[in-house]
Amino acid sequence: MAKIAIGSEPVVGSLTPSKKKDYRVTNKLQEGKRPLYAVVFNFIDSRYFNVFATVGGNRVTVYQCLEGGAIDVLQSYVDEDKDESFYTVSWACNTDGIPFVVAGGINGIIRVIDASTEKIHKSFVGHGDSINEIRTQPLKPSLIVSASKDESVRLWNVHTGICILIFSGAGGHRNEVLSVDFHPSDIYRITSCGMDNTVKIWSMKEFWTYVEKSFTWTDLPSKFPTKYVQFPVFIASVHSNYVDCNRWLGDFILSKSVDNEIVLWEPKMKEQSPGEGTVDILQKYPVPECDIWFIKFSCDFHYNATAIGNREGKIYVWELQSSPPALIAKLSHAQSKSPIRQTAMSFDGSIILGCCEDGTVWRWDAISAS
Amino acid sequence: MASDPSPSASRSEPHDDSLMTKSLETTPTLKHISSVIDSLKKQVAADRSVSIQKRIEDNKQKLLGVTNHLSKFSNGRKSCWTNNNDNSVDLLTKRQNDAVDMTTGDKDGYSSQEDAHGSTAVLQGSSMAVKNADRFIKLAEAKRLPPYTTWIFLDRNQRMTEDQSVVGRRRIYYDQNGGEALICSDSEEEVIDDEEEKREFVEFEDYILRMAIKEVGLSDQVLESLAQCLSRSPREVKARYEILMNEEKAVEGSKNGDEAHYVNPFLDKDLEAALDSFDNLFCRRCLVFDCRLHGCSQDLFFPAEKQSPWSHVDEENVPCGPHCYQAVLKSDRTTIVSFPLNGDVEEKFAPLSDGAGTWISRKMPSGPSARRRLKSCQSESASSNAKNISESSDSDIGPRQDTTSTPLPSPSKTKLAGKCGIHKRNSKRVAERVLACMQKRQKKMVASDSDSIVSGGLLPSDIKLRSNSHKENADATSSSHKNVKSLIVGRSRRKEWPIQDCRNLVHSEHPDGSPNKMITDPPMTSSDDTMRKDECVDDNTCKQELSDDKSWKAIEKGLLEKGVEIFGRNSCLISRNLLNGLKTCWEIFQYMTYSENKLSCQAGDAANSLLEGFSKFDFNGSMSGNEVRRRSRFLRRRGRVRRLKYTWKSAAYHSIRKRITERKDQPCRQYNPCNCQTACGKQCSCLLNGTCCEKYCGCPKSCKNRFRGCHCAKSQCRSRQCPCFAADRECDPDVCRNCWVSCGDGTLGVPNQRGDNYECRNMKLLLKQQQRVLLGRSDVSGWGAFLKNSVGKHEYLGEYTGELISHREADKRGKIYDRENSSFLFNLNDQFVLDAYRKGDKLKFANHSPDPNCYAKVIMVAGDHRVGIFAKERISAGEELFYDYRYEPDRAPAWARKPEASGSKREEGAPSSGRAKKVA
Repeated sequence: MAKIAIGSEPVVGSLTPSKKKDYRVTNKLQEGKRPLYAVVFNFIDSRYFNVFATVGGNRVTVYQCLEGGAIDVLQSYVDEDKDESFYTVSWACNTDGIPFVVAGGINGIIRVIDASTEKIHKSFVGHGDSINEIRTQPLKPSLIVSASKDESVRLWNVHTGICILIFSGAGGHRNEVLSVDFHPSDIYRITSCGMDNTVKIWSMKEFWTYVEKSFTWTDLPSKFPTKYVQFPVFIASVHSNYVDCNRWLGDFILSKSVDNEIVLWEPKMKEQSPGEGTVDILQKYPVPECDIWFIKFSCDFHYNATAIGNREGKIYVWELQSSPPALIAKLSHAQSKSPIRQTAMSFDGSIILGCCEDGTVWRWDAISAS
Repeated sequence: MASDPSPSASRSEPHDDSLMTKSLETTPTLKHISSVIDSLKKQVAADRSVSIQKRIEDNKQKLLGVTNHLSKFSNGRKSCWTNNNDNSVDLLTKRQNDAVDMTTGDKDGYSSQEDAHGSTAVLQGSSMAVKNADRFIKLAEAKRLPPYTTWIFLDRNQRMTEDQSVVGRRRIYYDQNGGEALICSDSEEEVIDDEEEKREFVEFEDYILRMAIKEVGLSDQVLESLAQCLSRSPREVKARYEILMNEEKAVEGSKNGDEAHYVNPFLDKDLEAALDSFDNLFCRRCLVFDCRLHGCSQDLFFPAEKQSPWSHVDEENVPCGPHCYQAVLKSDRTTIVSFPLNGDVEEKFAPLSDGAGTWISRKMPSGPSARRRLKSCQSESASSNAKNISESSDSDIGPRQDTTSTPLPSPSKTKLAGKCGIHKRNSKRVAERVLACMQKRQKKMVASDSDSIVSGGLLPSDIKLRSNSHKENADATSSSHKNVKSLIVGRSRRKEWPIQDCRNLVHSEHPDGSPNKMITDPPMTSSDDTMRKDECVDDNTCKQELSDDKSWKAIEKGLLEKGVEIFGRNSCLISRNLLNGLKTCWEIFQYMTYSENKLSCQAGDAANSLLEGFSKFDFNGSMSGNEVRRRSRFLRRRGRVRRLKYTWKSAAYHSIRKRITERKDQPCRQYNPCNCQTACGKQCSCLLNGTCCEKYCGCPKSCKNRFRGCHCAKSQCRSRQCPCFAADRECDPDVCRNCWVSCGDGTLGVPNQRGDNYECRNMKLLLKQQQRVLLGRSDVSGWGAFLKNSVGKHEYLGEYTGELISHREADKRGKIYDRENSSFLFNLNDQFVLDAYRKGDKLKFANHSPDPNCYAKVIMVAGDHRVGIFAKERISAGEELFYDYRYEPDRAPAWARKPEASGSKREEGAPSSGRAKKVA
């Protein structure tokens, strides 16, 4: 990475906890022996704000958080293929608002499960290799985007089962894509990052007619004129190693590599020449012992805070939108020693879940100040 | 010191005055300098954190609105649901409610057949996980695809773009089985070159620089400490400072009201500048813009042999539109023929009808005989007036006639002479012609005058000169002037001349007679019509001529020049193809005659110019005198472009050549066109490179190194008797004598057919006549390519397309591919390897077999090497395609190793590199 010029230094957060909030473990459950790679709350539908899903091995499990630290298992799905290993899960819904659980993994097949009928809704075959992350468009929750080892990012319509766009080709990623995220307000925009150390911002504005067409498509999904988006609008080299998680924070981007920190930066695009631009690194949120890849962070609904686990089973909770960044809390427990692959923050940030390599789910609840 | 201590100070230079004075007083010490810089640094750092704070706060506000909006969505879904779906059962909601009800239920997790873990550890408090679902919901198995990397379809090879190179980059390879990431780099070449990346100066650096120098003055000491502070070189700092100062001045300058005037950048460029991008972007080999195969900024090669200008056929000579010069001329001629003839308006009608008669007679005949007849007709009609003119300009004609008879080198001379011979009896006609030339010369003067008018100052002498010439003219065509004047009453003299011009031009056009043009002229039906047109045209002419010089922009002139080169002096075609929407045919015609005359006048020799002017009107487009000049212009341009863009290329050339000569047994050599202007000698790059010259080379067709194609008549070019086939080349319709393709349904005409029912069968790659290939699960491993329809032996199936990469690049990429045990590299020639990993076509999935049904062959198609896949035997529909990858024996992966190590001849010459590549 290039040296940072004077006057462009980022603000680095201090690791001294600000004691603004405190969390304590309220539950721990062992789901199985296989590692859990993802855990996610449902932010799509306010009825299910306390419902979350985890994936690991060939299982997808839906839970509910109750008052007082209790966790209920609501649904549990198992893929008949024992070799399947799910890496990612996301909540979506069809145009009628029926809740879907969407999961993907090593087989490269996206499983869309209708949670209201507990049946498989559709299976999307198309990716040439494992699926590393699936995210849902918050404004149109029947659109999902998937990041895959086959170096592509694909946009799907879970309602009609159509692969609308493939973000890949001449300007695409040159190694596995590990993470992808929809812009919270700009419906055309996504960001993706991966093992080629880059973060790429894509726009589907020119292809939006295809997205609209996908909602009214009645023919076979395979006959849909899927388009390739070959050129991103912005390519950023913020990191010098695998970039395994990225999220939009408004118009800024949070991304992390294996450098023990999350970086907040602003993409500054040059209007005339797409693909080019500069990166202004604004803030850094240090996360000690976070130097292995495939550790993902999560934010609460309003992006006030982010939680990230590390290699040693600790969770760091950072206040995101303050400058300098403040460490809200550092969560550690004597029995939590396994790497935490992903965390999930509840709608208001009062519950933090961590899913671990050893197949456990940990629940942390905020202690009210009084 | 005097620097502003407040960290939150805005950067509006609050300490200007005090600092300036101070820096004048004392020479700054090192300590002083560093303290100044330090304080600036602190200030900048503070500013930075403030600005970040502000930006984050702004973003926060914005995001708050967004998330609130989203939260409404989430809530909306709930209400929408409760309204609409009262009856249906949502199992998720049901389970949710059930769970709440049985919070006090059993404590254990869930039992499952497999790896369920019975116990739920409750750590703190009284909370517990509640078992709600005992059973697993099974997801039916879906068959997964064989793994592949997303790839883009290519119907032709592409050269790798710079940003796709992996050479010099550290690559991390994640080993799925080992579960570890390996850094893939070979230590010798991997000098992690920090790339001397030229960092741009950011705003804050500029600020520090400016302020520090303002404060302590510009000295080496200051520069050095600044450089240290900014971690740059002092020189860099100084250069930047100068830029900043200049910018500042420029800003001030523009503030002072120096209004820069903006102009259309495109139309103000001359053609050369505009063509610069064309030359850079247009591929002359593929005839497309932005060619992905040969790239942008190619070397420009201008063929030593100029193509003769496009010769038009008779049917092209219908007026091209309402502004066609033919239409205008035709009607104009009537007027002008009549004008010199008759002094009076009343008499005008007589010659008019005469003219109409002429047209009718012209219309009938065609071919060379028409030419004579036409001419005689014309001269007859002209004879009466010629008398008149020759009388009025007696003194002039004598010497001019002399000049006509002097021997001249231009081809027009013979023509003229011939004409004179034909029309011996018509000496009056000659006189008239000479007169016309004379008038033209006057017009030339006018032209140069009007040039000066355009450029601004109008000198009195000029006016005199012009009035003189005008008078002369008036003398010569004394009778006509009354008429003209009557038409243009109230117009200034300047307006008058253009009319004369056009008249002149018609005059001069008249005797030469360009028969082609006239023959198809529609006959005039009524003289009234003609009259109306006349007036109309006259008006038009005036207007157009007025704006003539000014309105011809540099680019338009340039385009016209090109047009003349391409189409000859055919204004119809030029206007339609090159100046569409910019200039009308008539305008072009006028300008052409106009500028040619001007040009010839400048040439000096009056007699020559006269005749040359004459020849210019010959619409066959023989460009005698002008060509030399144009050629030299090209040479100049070519030189310039090359210097700008290609110096590095020629430098690299030699090293490549060396390598090639060392490796004689290399089967294919990359062809690069040579730029020899004469027959290729020892210096020819093609010869040195060991390739044949091709049609893209600059050298003349007679070059001995040229591949001359085949003359096959019946073999269909499918056996080694065809020289093309024998040389592993496809036939080229531009080169081979009998190999051609007809276009469309034949209505556009077909080339002459020489053989009987001959059809070349050696152009399938060129014509993309390939078989339908299907992609499917292979019977062997992974993906496979299958044939849709059955084919016979040696049938062409399709092309193996991909990215063209260098051998070095291929070595680098191959390391990763070999680890993944799937390589799509294919040796193409001494320079390039095809990589179909991310770009290619379905044939990349054809698997290897030691006993294959297909074979691959590198074929030269129009100067490019391409890989064709051919049937080795009869293949029936639906069969999977295999071919022998021909990996070099020592590099081949286990699955491609032949039991009987039969190294083919071709493999020996391949470069020794550490990767497995397919070899044709």
